[in-house]
Amino acid sequence: MSAEPSAITTPLSNKHFDVDRAFVMISLTIPVIGLLLFFVYPLAIVFLRSITEADGGLGLGNYAHVLASKGFWRATGHSLHMGLATTAISIGLGFVIAHALHRCAFRGKVLIRAAIALPLLAPSLVQGLGLIFLLGRNGLVNKWFDLGLDIYGFWGLLIANIFYALPQAVMIIGATLTLSDARTYEAAEVMGARPIRQFLDITLPNAKFGVLSAAFVVFTVTITDFGNAAVIGGDYSVLATEIYSQVIGQMNFNMGAVVGIMLLLPTVASYYIERLAQKRQFGSHAENAVPFVPTFTPARDLPMAAASFLIAALIAIVIVVVVYASFVKLWPYNFGMTVKHYDITLAGGYAPLWTTIYISLAAAIGGTVMLFLLGLGIRKAPDAIAKAVYFFSVMPAAVPGMVIGLAYVLTFNSTATPLYLLYGTATLLAVCNFYHYHTQGFLTAMTGFRQVPSALEEAASCLGSSMTRIAIDVVAPYVTPMLISIFFFLFMRSMVTLSAVIFLTTPKMTVASVTIMRLDDAGLTSQAAAYSTCIMLIVGAALMMMKYVFYRMDKRSTLGTVV
Amino acid sequence: MKKWMMSITAGAIALMGAASANAGSITVYTALEEEEIADYVKAANAAMPDVEINVLRLSTGDLGARLLAEAGNPQADVIWGWAVTAMMNPEILNMLEAYKASGSEKLGAAYRDADGRWFAPTGYMGAFCVNTERLKAKGLPMPKSWKDLENPAFKGEVVMPDPNSSGTGYLHVIAVLQTMGEEKGWAQLKAVDPNMAQYTSSGSKPCKAARAGEYAVGASLAFTALKSIEEGYPLAMVFPEGGTGYELEASGLMSSSKNKADAKRFLDWTMSKSATDLYGSFKALVTVPGVKGSAAAEKAGLPADLGTVLAKIDFVESAKNQTAVKARWKEMFGR
Repeated sequence: MSAEPSAITTPLSNKHFDVDRAFVMISLTIPVIGLLLFFVYPLAIVFLRSITEADGGLGLGNYAHVLASKGFWRATGHSLHMGLATTAISIGLGFVIAHALHRCAFRGKVLIRAAIALPLLAPSLVQGLGLIFLLGRNGLVNKWFDLGLDIYGFWGLLIANIFYALPQAVMIIGATLTLSDARTYEAAEVMGARPIRQFLDITLPNAKFGVLSAAFVVFTVTITDFGNAAVIGGDYSVLATEIYSQVIGQMNFNMGAVVGIMLLLPTVASYYIERLAQKRQFGSHAENAVPFVPTFTPARDLPMAAASFLIAALIAIVIVVVVYASFVKLWPYNFGMTVKHYDITLAGGYAPLWTTIYISLAAAIGGTVMLFLLGLGIRKAPDAIAKAVYFFSVMPAAVPGMVIGLAYVLTFNSTATPLYLLYGTATLLAVCNFYHYHTQGFLTAMTGFRQVPSALEEAASCLGSSMTRIAIDVVAPYVTPMLISIFFFLFMRSMVTLSAVIFLTTPKMTVASVTIMRLDDAGLTSQAAAYSTCIMLIVGAALMMMKYVFYRMDKRSTLGTVV
Repeated sequence: MKKWMMSITAGAIALMGAASANAGSITVYTALEEEEIADYVKAANAAMPDVEINVLRLSTGDLGARLLAEAGNPQADVIWGWAVTAMMNPEILNMLEAYKASGSEKLGAAYRDADGRWFAPTGYMGAFCVNTERLKAKGLPMPKSWKDLENPAFKGEVVMPDPNSSGTGYLHVIAVLQTMGEEKGWAQLKAVDPNMAQYTSSGSKPCKAARAGEYAVGASLAFTALKSIEEGYPLAMVFPEGGTGYELEASGLMSSSKNKADAKRFLDWTMSKSATDLYGSFKALVTVPGVKGSAAAEKAGLPADLGTVLAKIDFVESAKNQTAVKARWKEMFGR
């Protein structure tokens, strides 16, 4: 396979020419229109706000103002520093876990999978609270060992960011490691290559696309995340807090838009670095590959398992301590047990939970279908179009949730287009959630599509299969595990994401994460923790049900999901 | 493309149902606290049973961003109980229509807009949240004023909100500046800066951090302090000597409202006896003459005569200087 995601050209037989062309057109057009309408267009409106000056005229005055401020450069420095540190560590740990899950043989992987998914399905309040309960100045660790640790600032923020980024890194890297050709390894074995050599010369180069994509996602979500920075970052100012202070603190929307647009720059840069590095992409997937099934190898598997369990345990403990605290009378002063925090009537009570499940399912189903179509279409599209689509597809992660939310209000509350009819509906919330997490889903899908052997497709095509048949019979089985991962990812994130939807809720259409924030705002932190626990339980139960359904639907498949 | 738009429009209509504002219902945006909203809305429903009252509760800052973003096609009929300093933003004032709710004429001139665009029957105050356990453990004296926080013993034990991102932060800063005077005020803020462990982005966070024992003192809100004491946290509420900052909770009529008749009835209700009686049970700070503040507040150490603890705040001045003060603060203390 060559460097570009688009570069596979399958000879199309005349018989199917028209149908196939139409199929490619449709599978590319629908997701692209969605992307233009629900991401590019709102973003363009934000850009317009960023060049609208105080007197209403257009110009670069806002940019000049922001660039001249000391605070902006300080925040930029902090953001880059934090982004690089988080990326380096998350990719390292993420690779270890993904490798352990897909290339090692040991028991209890399901526990690691579950723990790794926790930061995705836990409301952001939970992670912040958990870290403070454990590592805060008055946290358990300091109480028991009297270390005088102070996590607020760089270190606390780094830990929180790694926890949040790790599951996403594992998902994307995992997609490259899921499918591999056992024969390559057998050949290496025969030729006497030692395991370490095999790892360096086969595994690593093959995983490059996934690793680079994951690094791109981790860096981007780190520099755009506001939640962790606000809770545990102390006053280590980053660009996301800078936007918050402009938009929320000072009601200066245009200045906030400037910083939002600036946040795209490092992303554009890292996108180009990633593309450059890919030019030297090694290897491809063989047609009739034999799946690699790891056998137990103590020297490799024991350390990998130990490292993975350790990381998983650290993640789990942060969440578990909050669940425990939700049953405690008054953390950390009265450790008597109670269920009174679960009696929640304020801020909408438990009603928004059901709306949220509905919205999340819609986002997950719609999003997975869209990304599958996009993945199919982009491979057959002309190079220039494919590049442009790729570029906009990976951009959403670079836009902070707050900016997406406000952009949606500006765009979909304007009576200039009939789109305003979407404002205040569950549909818009689902759409917003999907496009907010578009990048992660897209890169996982692309990583999956790269594993589809092109020769198999060509063979099927030569034998007269239509594109539709190829999509269903050849491509789908290869990408199913990635699609299931994407489905779960979108579902979990939609259940708990706050930063964008907070601006789209109405008195009649509110979601669970907003209730949590309102409870916490009202000073009822224990109730907020209790509510979060309920969400995690429901999401957990829903995930298990869905896993069961997928298992029944696809009994023949031996492929596991990526996360 | 056109056809596609049509089909999505049709789909959207099918999925809608909530967005259209019909007569007999109003949409109210508020930043009041959850518990009081629940009781107020119950009373308002009883007083005007023919009107459906839809309330959206957001924090002061989120509400401001929402209002500005929706400015092209405003969704709210009424802004209810929102920080007056935020309300005085010219972009917001332009969205409001003058309406003198019946009863609002009783309010002192400082508590309503000269042009009738807003009135504020209630308010909230700033306060120090002091964790008595941590204070004891660290052997620190009970702080009574901003000056007391200069004591180097408090190094790393004090938190306050950043005025650039939090209205509560600005409330404290402006109180110091207006009671001590510009020059002395800035010197005071500079003197406590070395002891500040964090400038947080949320206004209630310093109190929550203090009640959890993370820090000894959090400059925050009296509401959060009272709530925490009620829940049993080892917390003391202290109003800094020389005057504590406060904010008015203003209400106004959106000029874009399509149901002004009911919106006005709701605003009238906020000044009616049914409402003011409830203020007495929730609010520490009530500006309606003859209405007393809450008993719980009094028990937690709030004096009957609030005039003795409140700073003398000129809100017009405070709103006018906002940009300059915040910029200077960032220059001096930004981290």
